[in-house]
Parts: sequence; structure tokens; C-alpha cells
Amino acid sequence: MSERIYARTPRRRQIDGWRWAGRFFLVFMLIYTAVPMVWMLLTSIKSGFAAMAFPPEWWPSEPTLASYEKLLDPQSSVGQDFLRFFWNSLIVSTLTTILAVLVAVPAAYAFSRFTFPGRQFLFFSVLLRNMFPAVIFLVPLFILMRFLGLVNTHGSLVLTYLTFGLPLAIWLLKGFYDNIPVQLEQAARIDGATRLQAFILIVMPLSVPGIIATAIYSFIGAWNEYIYAYTFLSKNEQLTLPVGIQRFFSENTTDFPGLMAASFMMSVPVVVLFLVLQRYFVRALTEGAVKH
Amino acid sequence: MTTVTGEADAARRRGTMRSGLLRQVWASRADYMYVMPAIVVMLVVIAYPIYYTVDLSFFKTPPGLQLRDKTFVGLDNYRAILASDVFWRVTVNTVIWTLASTLIAFVLGFALALALHRDFVGRGILRAIFIIPWVISAVAASYIWKWIYHSDFGIIGAVMVQLGLVDRPPNFIDSVNTVLPSLIVVNIWREFPFAMIMLMAGLQTVPDQLLRAAQVDGASAWQRFWHVTFPHLRGVSTVTILLLAVANFNSFIIPWIMTGGGPSNASHIWITHIYELAFGRQRWGVASAYSVLLFLILMTLGYFYVRALSGNDRKEHG
Repeated sequence: MSERIYARTPRRRQIDGWRWAGRFFLVFMLIYTAVPMVWMLLTSIKSGFAAMAFPPEWWPSEPTLASYEKLLDPQSSVGQDFLRFFWNSLIVSTLTTILAVLVAVPAAYAFSRFTFPGRQFLFFSVLLRNMFPAVIFLVPLFILMRFLGLVNTHGSLVLTYLTFGLPLAIWLLKGFYDNIPVQLEQAARIDGATRLQAFILIVMPLSVPGIIATAIYSFIGAWNEYIYAYTFLSKNEQLTLPVGIQRFFSENTTDFPGLMAASFMMSVPVVVLFLVLQRYFVRALTEGAVKH
Repeated sequence: MTTVTGEADAARRRGTMRSGLLRQVWASRADYMYVMPAIVVMLVVIAYPIYYTVDLSFFKTPPGLQLRDKTFVGLDNYRAILASDVFWRVTVNTVIWTLASTLIAFVLGFALALALHRDFVGRGILRAIFIIPWVISAVAASYIWKWIYHSDFGIIGAVMVQLGLVDRPPNFIDSVNTVLPSLIVVNIWREFPFAMIMLMAGLQTVPDQLLRAAQVDGASAWQRFWHVTFPHLRGVSTVTILLLAVANFNSFIIPWIMTGGGPSNASHIWITHIYELAFGRQRWGVASAYSVLLFLILMTLGYFYVRALSGNDRKEHG
């Protein structure tokens, strides 16, 4: 008995070693993650003059919301532009999200349930889309959009955003449907429901978390997209936020508080959306994609 | 043509006769209606552009992209790429960028997932904070870090001066030697949360009984991790690393906004270089040839990606 206790003690200490390593690591990562964000916020409430002090004012001596007021003031030209970019981003992202869900849900369901010829091949060719960078498609898509008359419209963005949201959306949702017991639908079919009815009435409600996860993913992807918006749009009144902000603060800008305020405002909607709905996202990954 | 092979494959796998294929396709015609919208969108926006890129890579197209005036030049565009010095410089940069970003982001994410696996006070808040960099836009991240690295007013340089490490703030992103590592730090900042989420999800699938059994049998923390947890996470890890590698290979926004590839090409990677060739210098043919090469590399990576995923798929459908 006493020998056993003796043998246990060093092991205990070893576990504590891991625990301490874990704590140090967490603190290190917290600094790495949070410092840039905190510095963005602190800079955004400084005056342009205070931001350019050396050594820097670690804590703003005269905090001001002037940068935010300027961006949100519909009377000033800066505010007008910013609000318009914000609205454009919102429209494009929302449209993309709705369409992505409408297209991905039936496709994922079919890939999960049916065994039609070519299922495997089609599934993997959809997934392969994820492999290719936007730039490869840029020139031909530009020509295609010119041909369709969509250059300088939000339609060109929605159409392209749809395709790179789809693969992951289909993959996530398929994993979700794989875990919904087929017996549920079979029971519904026996009770006289058609296959489509079984899908809409039984399976859809059960897969709501997966659909929410898909929607978040599409929305964030569209909200943050830059390359296509940068290439397809040239009229000022149509720009989305990422490109608009870049136009605002061109190379020689010194208005860092303004830039930081704009970066913050651009991040708020997606961060809030994600933090509120993140459990669905993590759950979708856990129950769908990762589980096997 | 490829579709037929795929269908034939599927048919053979199910052990049906080749002659029954058409009947089978017809019998499951309703099934296709579900995938049709996805396939149509993919065809228009993917298959057509790929065809077009390959086509353009054999031609010299005038700067204004007047397709009527293009002239056939054979493999000249490819030869021009392989002969240029920039190509090798950019390729080395891309390899460093992709490998370093992928591996470090994965290791950090993995370690965080493990550190956050056990329940403690404040775990939810920490997890939320760690996820934020992945959600905010790369454009915003680039501007934030550009400000942090600023050669006169940047916070890192200021801290270094205050601590007496250097006399004057270093030029992180204006110097040929430090620009690439500095950008990789930014890229990792944006990507480790993805690895963390994936592996946190993966960790929840590791059976608790197994871990407890191992503990009862006297396995140390490291042994439990190495012999029980890690083997369970192999599938998730493969997929995560591949997705990260592809995303890094394809990244554009961070180098483009922070440095535009400079100074003297030190932070140009393939994608930014292709973009500059096409939309900056309007050398459409060379840019397309680059894209085709890139495409071939990605197809190779894609082969492993599909294999990793189909491993999972086959297990599910057994």
C-alpha cells in the first residue's frame, strides 16, 4: 500500500507540469490574440495627433469618439460612403446566404441519402472547388461577367460567392444528414408522406443547426470577400466594405484612428453573429464533418 | 466523358451490369433534381473558367483583353515563366509561406484545443476570444497589423525600444529579411482558430471510457495523449492540415494589402504575383499559364484531400 502511494507521487507532479505548461501557453496565446484587437480599439478612440506620438500613448489621454462620429454621420461625405458600403455588404452577404442554403440543402441531402450513379464523383467534384484560388478564376470570370452584362453589379458577386460557400456547406450538411436516422423518414413514408414531404417535414427541422452553421459560414465568407469585389466593381457607389475601406485609406493615409474605427465597425457584425451562433457551428462540425 | 467514368465506377462498385446503367440513371432521375442546382452553378462558374484559362495560356492577348486579337504562341508563355528569376524567388516564398503558416497554425490550434478541453472557469470566454481573429475580415486584420508593425508608431517597435532591445524601431515589413516572417505571423494569427475549432470538435469524439481505462492502467498524461487521443484525431488532423495548406497556398489579401509583394518581391507569393501579372501588367497569357501550373499543383494536393475525405465517407457507408 505504502509503496503504491510512493509510486504515485511523481506521476502527480508530472501532470501538474503539463497543467502549468498549459496555463503559460494560454496566457501567451491570449496576448498574441488580444493585443492587436485591443490596440485597434485604443487607437480608434485617439485623435489623429495622439496616435502619432512616440513613445505611444499606451492609454489614450483624451479619448474621443470623433472617428466613429465621422464614419456614421450621413451628412458628411465620408459617412455617406461608409454607410453605403455597409449597406452594399449587407445586401450581397444576405442574398448569398439565402441562395447558398437553398442550393446546398437539397444537394447535401441527396448526397447523403440517395445512391444514384455518379454520386461519388459529383460529390468529390463539388468538394474540389475548395482547392482552387479565386485568382485562377478571375480572368475568365471577368470575361464571363462582361458577357452576361454583370460587371459592376452585385449580381456578379452573389453568383461567385455562392460557389465558394457551397462546397463546405454541402460537406457540413451531408455529415449532418448522415447522422439523422433513416428510420424517421421511413416511418413517415409508411404513413403516406411522399419522399419530398418526408424531407421537408421530418429531416429539415432536425437539421436546423446544420443549416444555421451553413448560413453563418456563407455570410461571413461573403462579408469578408475582397478579390472579386476588388476586380468586378469599379463604381464607388457599389463597393462593398473591404474594398471601400481600402479606397478610403489609400496608400499615403495618416488617419490611423479612422482606419482602425472602420476596421472595428466592419468586424462587429460578423463577430457578434458568430459569437451568438457559434454553438451551432461547433455542433455542426462535431456531429457532421468530424464524427465517423 | 469523366462523368461516364464516374458513373461506371459507381455502377461497378455496386456490382450491377454495365447495360443496366442507363436504366439506373433513368430510375434515379428524381435524385438528380436535388443536386442539379449545385451542379449547374459549379459548371458555369468553375468548369467554364478552367477551360478558358487553359485556352488563354497558349495565346498572346492584347492588354485590353480584346479576345478577337489574340495570337497563338504555343508554349512560349510557359517558357517565359520558367526562364524568369522572379519565378524561382516567388516559388521559394510560396513554399516557406505555406509550410510555416500551416504547421505553426496547426500546432497552436491543436495545443489550444487540448488546453481548453478540460472545463475551468472562463473557458467559454477564452474560446470566444480565440475564435475572433478567424471571423474578422482579412482586410481589417491586414490594416490592424500594418499599424502594429508601423516603422515609426508601431506598438511592437515601441515596446522593443522601451525595453532597450533596439535603438530605433525596426522596419518589420519594409525590410527584405523580415517581411515574410512578419506576414506569416499575421497569417497564423488569422488561421490558428480554425485548427482549434476543428480539433475541439474532434476531441469530443474521443471516448472518455478509453481515456479512463488507460488512466486506470497507469498510463501517463503523455502516453494517454499519444496512444489514445492522437490516433482518434488522425482523420480530423489530416483534413485540417490539408484545408489549411490549400488556404495558405491560395492566400492573397494579407500580402497584397500589407506590402503588395514588396520590397523587391520579398513577399510575393504565387497568387499575388499572378494577380499583378494579369491585372497590373496585363500579361494575360503568362498569368493564365501560371494559373494552369498552379492548377496542376493543386490537383495533386486535391488528390490527397479527396482520399482523406473519402476514407471517412467509405467508413460511413461501409
